[in-house]
Amino acid sequence: MRLQAAFFIAACLSPAAAIYSDEVNHIEFHHALLGAPSPDSTFFLKPSSSSNASLLYTISEKSIIGAVNPRDGSLIWRQDISRPGSATSGAGILRGLDGNNAVVGAAGDSISSWSAQDGKLIWENRLADGAVADLELLELEDASATSGSRDTIVLTSGEGAGVVRRLDGDSGKTKWEHKDNSGDVPFQVSSSPSEIFYISLQSAMLKGYKIKVTSLDPITGRQSRQVTLNTESDITSQDSILFVGANTASPLIVWADKSLKSLKVNVIGTKQINTIAIDNTSGQEIQQITVHAPHKLNSLAHFLVHYKTETGAWAEVFHTDMKSSVVKKAYQLPYLQGQSVVATNNINANVYFTRVTDSEAVVVSSASHGILGRWNADVSSTDRAIHAVADVVTKGKSVAVRSAVIRESGDWSLIRNGQTEWTRPEALIHTVAAAWVEEEDQEDLVHELEVEGHESLIGAYIHRVKRHLRDLQHLPEWLKELPKRIITSILTDEVSNLDSFGVAKSIIVATEKGRVYALDTGRQGTIKWSFQAEKTSHWDIKAILTIPGSAEIYISDGSSLRVNSSTGEIISRSAPTNVKLQSIATFEHQGGSSMVRIGSLGIQEDGSPVSSFDDITGFLVTTSNDGRVLGWVEKDIKSPVWEFVPPAGQKVIKAVSRPSHDPVASIGKVLGDRSVLYKYLNQNLVLVTAVNEQDHTAGFYLLDGVSGKVLYSVRRSGVDPTQPIASAISENWFAYSFFGDAVDESSAKGYQLVVSELYESPIANDRGPLDAAGNYSSLHDLPLPHVVSQSFVIAEPISHMAVTQTRQGITTRQLLCVLPSSNAIVGIPRPVLDPRRPVDRDPTSAEAEEGLFRYAPYLDFDGKWYLTHSRDVAGIQTVLSCPTQLESTSLIFAFGGDIYGTRATPSQAFDILGKSFSKLQLVLTVVALAAGVTFLAPMARKKQVNMLWKAT
Amino acid sequence: MSILLPLLWLCHLATATLTISIPPSTHLPNPHILPATTHATLTTLPAAGAGDRDPSHILTTSLTRGSTLVFNDIPAGHPESYLLDIRAGEYVFAPYRVDVAADGSVMGVWETFRGNPWENRGAEKYVVDIAAKKAADVVVEAKVLGKKGFYEERATFSPLSLVKNPMILMAIVALVLTLGMPKLMENMDPEMRAEFEQQSRASPITGATTNAMTGGGFDLAGWMAGTAPNPMASAESPREGATGRETTTGSARKRG
Repeated sequence: MRLQAAFFIAACLSPAAAIYSDEVNHIEFHHALLGAPSPDSTFFLKPSSSSNASLLYTISEKSIIGAVNPRDGSLIWRQDISRPGSATSGAGILRGLDGNNAVVGAAGDSISSWSAQDGKLIWENRLADGAVADLELLELEDASATSGSRDTIVLTSGEGAGVVRRLDGDSGKTKWEHKDNSGDVPFQVSSSPSEIFYISLQSAMLKGYKIKVTSLDPITGRQSRQVTLNTESDITSQDSILFVGANTASPLIVWADKSLKSLKVNVIGTKQINTIAIDNTSGQEIQQITVHAPHKLNSLAHFLVHYKTETGAWAEVFHTDMKSSVVKKAYQLPYLQGQSVVATNNINANVYFTRVTDSEAVVVSSASHGILGRWNADVSSTDRAIHAVADVVTKGKSVAVRSAVIRESGDWSLIRNGQTEWTRPEALIHTVAAAWVEEEDQEDLVHELEVEGHESLIGAYIHRVKRHLRDLQHLPEWLKELPKRIITSILTDEVSNLDSFGVAKSIIVATEKGRVYALDTGRQGTIKWSFQAEKTSHWDIKAILTIPGSAEIYISDGSSLRVNSSTGEIISRSAPTNVKLQSIATFEHQGGSSMVRIGSLGIQEDGSPVSSFDDITGFLVTTSNDGRVLGWVEKDIKSPVWEFVPPAGQKVIKAVSRPSHDPVASIGKVLGDRSVLYKYLNQNLVLVTAVNEQDHTAGFYLLDGVSGKVLYSVRRSGVDPTQPIASAISENWFAYSFFGDAVDESSAKGYQLVVSELYESPIANDRGPLDAAGNYSSLHDLPLPHVVSQSFVIAEPISHMAVTQTRQGITTRQLLCVLPSSNAIVGIPRPVLDPRRPVDRDPTSAEAEEGLFRYAPYLDFDGKWYLTHSRDVAGIQTVLSCPTQLESTSLIFAFGGDIYGTRATPSQAFDILGKSFSKLQLVLTVVALAAGVTFLAPMARKKQVNMLWKAT
Repeated sequence: MSILLPLLWLCHLATATLTISIPPSTHLPNPHILPATTHATLTTLPAAGAGDRDPSHILTTSLTRGSTLVFNDIPAGHPESYLLDIRAGEYVFAPYRVDVAADGSVMGVWETFRGNPWENRGAEKYVVDIAAKKAADVVVEAKVLGKKGFYEERATFSPLSLVKNPMILMAIVALVLTLGMPKLMENMDPEMRAEFEQQSRASPITGATTNAMTGGGFDLAGWMAGTAPNPMASAESPREGATGRETTTGSARKRG
């Protein structure tokens, strides 16, 4: 009941600005990302024994298990199995089996089984003795097994010991375990129909490793025999082993000698090593050898070896004789220039190999070299393909294939019979910085208008007439376009037709892996261009600053990169300097209706500016790495003007200032009795958050950026410093949130959101010490604000806060909050967060007129506030807001994990004719009225004539 | 082996499980439709100085196939009072208070209310049976409070809503009167009609309307039909009386 009451109040009083269900995918877009798929753990799988269609499963480098629909590339489910605090080394492992309705994934020391159909948990387990090194699903059921779920064989490698366990398919409980304390390096597990093989690497006397194969009984886990292969001359590390065949009738171990002249193949469980000379006719050095073998138990014992050189690749197919364990070459796929990837799959016992190259996609059977299907491919891309998985369908003699190709950048695309069906831009999951592109063409007009403004009256007049004459040349085009425009505007919806109002802006994003993208927010976030700016795994971007036509990306080593924002061409690069930057500061000033940047400056890690900023009149507030806040002026970059040090034990974790574009529509707040409370408007406010990790307190300090004076401070106890503490400041108010523990039994436990408003004085129609002053000075007698605060208990943590920005600030603002635990972004309307809401009483009529309603300690997020509605938008780190030409609309872009963009209309779209406004209906009404008039006019005339005759 | 056994027993004690089952309810008739992202969280803040056990004071578990949420690894070491949240897309669940003893076993589960004192415990879901002294696996039922509506309803066009509009209603009444009145008059008794006409002529209101109809105001229908005079012309023409219906119309006719 309590909750329903809250719902009701919220529904009555908040300006509902929720999305209409028919606007989904029109005004917003979402890239649900997994991260680069791990090549060894990506496969097609039928999610249940009853279904015919298969899904694409993978575990990504971010340890996210995902199921992707191969038809359109949409995400069906995903689960993040990385656990904070557990040591995850590299990508996880994912295994699935056809006919089994579960996929089993492992990352670090945790292993979990998920329902393949809907991604719900079957069991999860945490293994005490080290990280999971390998896992296999047992394809063959024992007599005792009843259900369709298969058991898992898992190998963990801890401190000098490897443990092989068999886990029950339904509960995840250990059936047996085999411990290996010999000090060997645990490597992999594999299985054959009758045995489970534990493969470890035994250090040889001098150098290298011997491969030791231990056979275990699948039912009891007892060791039955052990084989050691003398491989120490070839194998120097784990990477030397190319392949350990899993779950085939004849599982293999494949490795090559050091000079890559010959290939060594051993059928697991035998002592025999087959040596095959590598027939390299390309004349180039082999860079990479990969082995592709089917994973199904009943498939033919055939496998393919793929050799890659600098510029091309070829492949050889081998057959294994099951009886004698002899391997012999069957045929060869020719050497081709360019990139080439091979995928394996089988239909019943038949094995098919799919080779995707720059020019074509080819399907061959493992039995003979005859090409079953060939398609000219359109897959050539600068982004090299590194791995592929394929799904071959045979129908009579013809075959069809779809192959999912993983590219070097992490992007993932599906090629069906040579046609690229979809591409998932997985590399965008590493996005660390983004900036809105400023259009160049609008800037021209602004420039022209500026010229006119500065000339004499007659000069300006002539200039304008000339400009208009010049514009006339576009008239024929405009007239030609006109009928089309009218028709389309009647037929299509207005919401998708607002590009000229700055609603379709591009955004430049840069990822940690050194890639730069431009996304078009007006076209569902499609990628306009992208390029690899740097080959690195940790590109430490500090800022992206845009000017009309180009964007500059600043890196922490002091270097920068300037790119053309419409084409993605690199204009210039600057060399790194020897100072490490902590951030980039920008100086902006109000120029007309927009902010004009007049300079930018690097900030070192200790908080001092890199160079002086003599040419700019301004000040700087920086945070230093030792937890202080420093203020700087242009004259002196050696020592700060002021310094803010939090109380002993506290550490500054965050400082936020008002957004650079933060227009204030009204300097006061009109109360119900028409009196005015004057807002405390200070451009230079800084909100500093400091925490004490020992006694769990947090301090929030409001500083004046020029003088460093503390205007307001508050201390909260019972704050969890490990949970996110978010804060935002805008206009004359600020908000912050944290997890507050129950300090004693009578206080509340839960996440809290605190909002504070600043006024010049507590009395209406009174400006306090400022009185009638037009100006104020930060340095002389800066008056303190009157602060009104209210705290709310909220249901979940907020990891990031931002405020919607509109062109003139007339529209109500929304506090944008990222909710990491429900994977959503919520826009809380400001009227709800009014700290002047009456407490413990109903509002008086004057207060009700003002829009205030009764305070309730629990603030429930209304579903209509969710900008992301029912979407699952995971991993968001930052939310950007940008004003458009329409006052009602603010563009929202969120990144950090998924990419999400939408339009927020906090006071509803009051300046747009929405979808509900039907132009066709309007036209029809006018036509109907006209028809009515023409029909009624003769009638009325007749009647009047009759009336006259009858009356006389 | 003899050393291992008590160790194993201890481990078993520490891993007492807490299972939250989601029963069908009015808001959620079929719990299997819950999204795979559904998860439960146990949150607390360890007492000051006990921060070395981070971050195990926030425990999360995902929804299972059987629509349950299972916590296997509630850490032992210190008695804690956890806040249990269940988050499932559009469904809103009641928060619970979970008290855990120092050995990691669940002492009790109660409903709690956000924004209320922590001691304000609601309905009791589970309390440990001290006499039995058995750390059994605890199973509690989750409670669905409601459903969030994410979407704005688009106002659809329906004839009924048109009829509800007061302006339309007034127009309909006026239409009925204008069309129905003459019919009504015709069906009237001739004597009564004469009386009625007499009355309406005498009444000042009807007189005024008649005047307005004939010459006082601008007759749009007439003007559009081409029978009424130009309004400017009629304004110029002299008025001959409040009830001078014959003369006014007569002059109009002469001009037309």
